[in-house]
Amino acid sequence: MGSAHSVPAEMRELADRTGFTSEQIEHLHRRFKQLSQDQLTIRKENFDNIPDLEFNPIRGKIVHAFFDKRNLRQESDGLADEINFEDFLTIMSYFRPIEMNMDEEQLDRFRKEKLKFLFHMYDSDHDGKITLQEYRNVVEELLSGNPHLEKESARSIADGAMMEAASICVGQMGPDQVYEGITFDDFLKMWQGIDIETKMHVRFLNVDTIAHCY
Amino acid sequence: MFLLLPFDSLVVNLLGISITVLFTLLLVFIIVPAIFGVSFGIRKVYMKTLLKIFQWATLRIERGAKEKNHPLYKPYVNGIIAKEPTSLEEEIKEIRRSGSGKSLDTPEFELSDIFYFCRKGIETIMDDEVTKRFSAEELESWNLLSRTNYNFQYISLRLTVLWGLGVLIRYCFLLPLRIALAFTGISLLVTGTTVVGYLPNGRCKMFLSKHVHLMCYRICVRALTAIITYHDRENRPRNGGICVANHTSPIDVIILASDGYYAMVGQIHGGLMGVIQRAMVKACPHVWFERSEVKDRHLVAKRLTEHVQDKSKLPILIFPEGTCINNTSVMMFKKGSFEIGATVYPVAIKYDPQFGDAFWNSSKYGMVTYLLRMMTSWAIVCSVWYLPPMTRQPEEDAVQFANRVKSAIARQGGLVDLLWDGGLKREKVKDTFKEEQQKLYSKMIVGNHEDRSRS
Repeated sequence: MGSAHSVPAEMRELADRTGFTSEQIEHLHRRFKQLSQDQLTIRKENFDNIPDLEFNPIRGKIVHAFFDKRNLRQESDGLADEINFEDFLTIMSYFRPIEMNMDEEQLDRFRKEKLKFLFHMYDSDHDGKITLQEYRNVVEELLSGNPHLEKESARSIADGAMMEAASICVGQMGPDQVYEGITFDDFLKMWQGIDIETKMHVRFLNVDTIAHCY
Repeated sequence: MFLLLPFDSLVVNLLGISITVLFTLLLVFIIVPAIFGVSFGIRKVYMKTLLKIFQWATLRIERGAKEKNHPLYKPYVNGIIAKEPTSLEEEIKEIRRSGSGKSLDTPEFELSDIFYFCRKGIETIMDDEVTKRFSAEELESWNLLSRTNYNFQYISLRLTVLWGLGVLIRYCFLLPLRIALAFTGISLLVTGTTVVGYLPNGRCKMFLSKHVHLMCYRICVRALTAIITYHDRENRPRNGGICVANHTSPIDVIILASDGYYAMVGQIHGGLMGVIQRAMVKACPHVWFERSEVKDRHLVAKRLTEHVQDKSKLPILIFPEGTCINNTSVMMFKKGSFEIGATVYPVAIKYDPQFGDAFWNSSKYGMVTYLLRMMTSWAIVCSVWYLPPMTRQPEEDAVQFANRVKSAIARQGGLVDLLWDGGLKREKVKDTFKEEQQKLYSKMIVGNHEDRSRS
């Protein structure tokens, strides 16, 4: 029989930092334990146990994003080998829905964070730019299952999209200019005026407890 | 030391008398009714009493929690993600519409398309349908078994005493009783079938073997204190048919076989199971396979077909899911048994989790641990529905037929009908499924026509 139930201090701190409710944190903690098979950390192999995830064409990039140190808000660069529950929550917090009581500045910061997450997903070599090759990689991954599509078509789609991005960011380019790649500022420019916050979040169900005793 | 002797013999006498009384009671109230298939209704009374006690216990917990200000166990919720049944196309159109506002007819790749896959991926990491099915269902009220309540804490003295009493009764009284019964049942089965096996083939042998089987299964049912309600018994399987049911635990076999005569199908095991299997097959023809034969699908199908075509042989009992599921849903049926072409008699089995969780998580517990858990639960309460027979229509193939049967079973038992393969508990997803999503998305972007102009 356990001790009396009280919200532990660390839980409250986690809730404040990541913005989840304690309900959601409890559920995510159970999920974490299930994925990690009761260990304290998760490695890449643990994500292989999720059957629904196999459906997803960019599965590799999503799992990679969990271990990307830039997303984990750590100063260093590169990939972590394993993450603990706090890191898990940090990544999940990028997908929090917007709350009603956020002001302009918070909303802006929120949006930048989500876009940064997306940027890191495209920028696989961590050099701060999305090059043509990286863009092509993403398009190919998304389209690779179609047997009617040759590699050439995927490449030309990527090339076309890249040229469009260049035209938004740099304007008219001279014939000798080479477009290096999309930097994060360019990336932000592309999304200006477009409402992405409502599309990049997880839709949580409202889970209320039986006895409300406050 | 001499003073102890009279006491000694007194104690020994008392012990002897109580054991004799116990066994006579056992014989009269349990074994004899099992032989004749009647019931005194003791188990139903037991069930009603237990329910009253559980209700009281739950009220106490709720009251205690209110006094102490804790949140309680959550209502049974289907995960934390609000999943709407929208398709890939709709979602991507929605994203694009709220995005650059470009026309939706031009099949172009948009940076925003990745949102959909990203979000879907994160949602499945947070919560997924399939792995949830494989762990035991969480209860809403407490049945005095601490194994089923994750939130169990110390609430009040009275409740703890009750729980302690429950433990005492279950482990010291019910468990030995049940083990004794199980032992009796199994040994009767083995000896009975071996003896019947010596008789010459004929109607007498068949009659006797049916009754020996039935009797022993009934004793085993009482050994587990299984309280079973059978519905629609007029649809019970007949000779030359295949009986198909959803699978939650090895007890399913005992439950079904105590109400009808079936031929079992399965792999020969070693040890005690092997002894039982070899004895059973002497009395009447069951279909047992060697381990090496199991992999050969054609051989399996051939033997099953031969058995089914002989009208004098009993209906076969098959569990097409291939593994134990936690009794909240029905997973994909393997198509092998539906290709044979016989009449299929579907049966739905639903356990009431209030009295004891019957799900066998074979990766967590071995068979012996599982049986011990079963025997130390209060009771196993379940309902069995016999559904009307189904045959394969000319225009459907085996897979469609299997799905039709599966839906019927799921609907009757109030279980969720899932398309997933029960084998996923152990293996990974087949590559063909993975490519489906990719194909779908790329069809949207590129379309099926070759003549689009590219920039």
